[in-house]
Amino acid sequence: MSLLALSNITIRYGRLTAVRNLAFTLAEGEILFITGPNGAGKSSLLRAIAGITPPVGGRIDFAGAEITGRAPEDIARMGLSMVPEGREVFGSLTIEENLMVGTGMHAKARNWRSRAATELAAVYDTFPMLKDRRHSQAGLLSGGQQQMLVIGRALMTNPRLIAIDEPSLGLAPNIIDQVYDRLIALRAHRSLTLLIVEQSSTRAMLVGGRMILMRGGEVLLDGDARAIGQSAAMQAAYFGYGEH
Amino acid sequence: MRGSAALRFISTPVILTLILVALALIAVASGSRPFNQTMIDIFLRVILVVGLYIFVGNSGVISFGHIGFTCLGAYAAAWLTMPPMMKQTLLPGLPDWLMQTQLPYWAGALIAGLWAAVWAALFGRILMRLSGIAASIATFAMLAMINSVYSNWESVTAATSSVVGIPIIRTIWPYMIAAVLAVVIAWAHAISRAGLALRAARDEPTAAAASGIDIPRERLIAFVISGGVMGMGGALFAHSIGVVTPDTFYLTLTFTSLSMLVVGGMGSLSGAVLGVVILSSLIQALRWLEAGVTVGTSTVSIPNGLQEITLGIVMIMILAFRPMGIFGNKELIWPPARAVKPDQSRPGQ
Amino acid sequence: MSGLLQIFFDALSLGSLYALGALGIALIFGVMRLVNFAHGDVISFSIFALLWPSVDAVAVVFAGNLPWFALIPFVLIVGAGLAVLLELVVFRRFRKANPATMMIASFALGFVIRYFLLMLFSSRPKSISLLPSLSQPVEILGARVPLLQVITIIATIVILFGLTAFLKRTRFGLEMRAAAENFTMARMLGVRANRVIMGAFALSGALAAAIGLILASQTGTVDIQMGAAMMLMAFIATVIGGLGSLPGAVLAGFLLGGASVVMQVVLPIEARPFRDAFVYGAVILVLIIRPTGLIAARGMKERV
Repeated sequence: MSLLALSNITIRYGRLTAVRNLAFTLAEGEILFITGPNGAGKSSLLRAIAGITPPVGGRIDFAGAEITGRAPEDIARMGLSMVPEGREVFGSLTIEENLMVGTGMHAKARNWRSRAATELAAVYDTFPMLKDRRHSQAGLLSGGQQQMLVIGRALMTNPRLIAIDEPSLGLAPNIIDQVYDRLIALRAHRSLTLLIVEQSSTRAMLVGGRMILMRGGEVLLDGDARAIGQSAAMQAAYFGYGEH
Repeated sequence: MRGSAALRFISTPVILTLILVALALIAVASGSRPFNQTMIDIFLRVILVVGLYIFVGNSGVISFGHIGFTCLGAYAAAWLTMPPMMKQTLLPGLPDWLMQTQLPYWAGALIAGLWAAVWAALFGRILMRLSGIAASIATFAMLAMINSVYSNWESVTAATSSVVGIPIIRTIWPYMIAAVLAVVIAWAHAISRAGLALRAARDEPTAAAASGIDIPRERLIAFVISGGVMGMGGALFAHSIGVVTPDTFYLTLTFTSLSMLVVGGMGSLSGAVLGVVILSSLIQALRWLEAGVTVGTSTVSIPNGLQEITLGIVMIMILAFRPMGIFGNKELIWPPARAVKPDQSRPGQ
Repeated sequence: MSGLLQIFFDALSLGSLYALGALGIALIFGVMRLVNFAHGDVISFSIFALLWPSVDAVAVVFAGNLPWFALIPFVLIVGAGLAVLLELVVFRRFRKANPATMMIASFALGFVIRYFLLMLFSSRPKSISLLPSLSQPVEILGARVPLLQVITIIATIVILFGLTAFLKRTRFGLEMRAAAENFTMARMLGVRANRVIMGAFALSGALAAAIGLILASQTGTVDIQMGAAMMLMAFIATVIGGLGSLPGAVLAGFLLGGASVVMQVVLPIEARPFRDAFVYGAVILVLIIRPTGLIAARGMKERV
């Protein structure tokens, strides 16, 4: 059974159509890259899935329930954690406070405090740098550290799916390597499902997995990342030549 | 287009003028004193709301301070038109030349408008550098500042006590003419280069700034013109009742004028005028009810305050369900074939 | 010496009121970008809730006779309850509206509350004696200070510490701070928007009620306008402090109180009546020099 299923999704901003009639499904444990040039509708798609700007048409299902048009907090509470573009740390909060914000959704569960503590220890294990600076303000971190923090913050909610918008944006190549190493390790470790939006397909080809190539709000190609990466259609999508 | 375009161009002020003249004629024809007074109130509100529109409508910056200029204008009218004898007892601190001056009301009103415009220029120089919410709150501080000075300057404003003895003008025509004048000034400003630039800056601030529009300057122009109109309105306000106190020109009047502008449509001159007419009718109906209506043998009346409560609720409903007001950015035009499309802009940034 | 001390206490107690008022406005602005002009009328309403409707000059007390330990919670609950009601009935509909529209709506709402009070109580100020035992003076370091002034200052300090502890130490406080900085991101982490906003309104309403209680006990009168005058200063403090910044609001509140009291003392006699005008003028100047306020709140740039 698929964890996330989109059918006929159309997203509009005023008169501008960002995504039209898009559909795909994502199975539990899968890793999916959504790539495409600027303006392809990738970020709009993620925002629709997370419930920030609901689609004007179509249907989104997550974990067996329809989530179209539901509030972002409800969707998050169902186990879909979104890491938006630009990292969006709470700059005036400390690192540890940033990590703890999302644990409130389990506050009704029994012994959630001890579970949150375990989660926190696990996140600190994955990102030791965060532990060293746990009481300093998140706004003071570097871009790469903030990226680690927001991934860690998403993990704290114990999600089934993490959707990340452009994790490599504005980061140095060696830092991007680190971020991806952690992501891949986490996925193996926790049976996470990953939905990663990247403008460039290079990373998808390196990491492997499934890739969807978008352009002009539509799916152009859907298949194995490495296979797509070498195809001519891929070149066409980015550089505009070819029949499309 | 062509021929009708020019016609449309001037049709808005013409239609609005005709409406105002028609209202005056109805009042005169009715021959009823109270009705006449009601119509005078409506014309006064038209002046104030149109004055407010000149700045708020074109710039998109909400101002809570404009009634301050009305206050300046009203007191200026009192200083200029009261008999010197009255001034000597009530306002002993006035300079000698002003004490001896006694102008006809219309000259007083014009000077009052200029006086308010001068102050608008002084305040505006500073305030227009701000934008958004900070600007709105600064205009509020300006209103409070003016109120505080006029409520305390015993020797020239009689502080919080009433200044009486201002000549009362009971004929409707001066008020109608002033309202028409306000509409024409607002329209002339709106179609002028300054007005167009200001609306461009309201709708597309970044693009406007990039194309060389000096936003603070254009805002200042509108602020000064609207301040002048508010001042003239204040002077006539003083002549309509013959008494002024600082608190007449404070929060309640600010609230009433803003609500009329909001209900009519902040971005529209026609909206400003018709907002006044619509809400004034509502206020009048409520006033009759407050005074008591005889039904059969018993008198039914509603409690005091219901007027403002209703006004507030109407304003909130309009803001919730039709935030652009009744008219949005549209104007009344002739021929009415195609209405001007309202743009998507909203007040404020 | 004792004169200086007296000035110091005056400044501190006036500043306390402004700080509490500014805090109530900043709390709501933080989570929903609403400049709440109705805040002042929540102040008036909480106190009038102690009276029976009447137009007499002497207040007909209803709950005002309660002993202090029941009176204070009663007033606070009324304030919080009214603020939550306003959010449920009115402001919820304006969540997606722009800040200017919300601001005018709150201005209108304030008038609705004020004239509702006028309808029941008339516009005439009423004398009321709340907690009369607090008006006796006490001696502190040679200065005679009204007990109420001391209590005002202590109460404000307690409220400030309590609020800080609440925001820093509790889960709800954490969610509120996160939401104030980046509302959408907080929601994406499962923070319930409605709950946080209602919480902010409840806190703000309770703060308003505390101000009402202090004002009414200090002046011995209640007046439907009493909140509006307070609100203007509180607003100014919020703006000077940097809209949305809680420490900024408190700091600016105390500065404003200090400035008012100091001006009262140093201005020449004939200029003293214009003290408030000078304060407003100073505020406009501060805004020109620092349009974002003394302490700019984080996360403000993208939203205002």
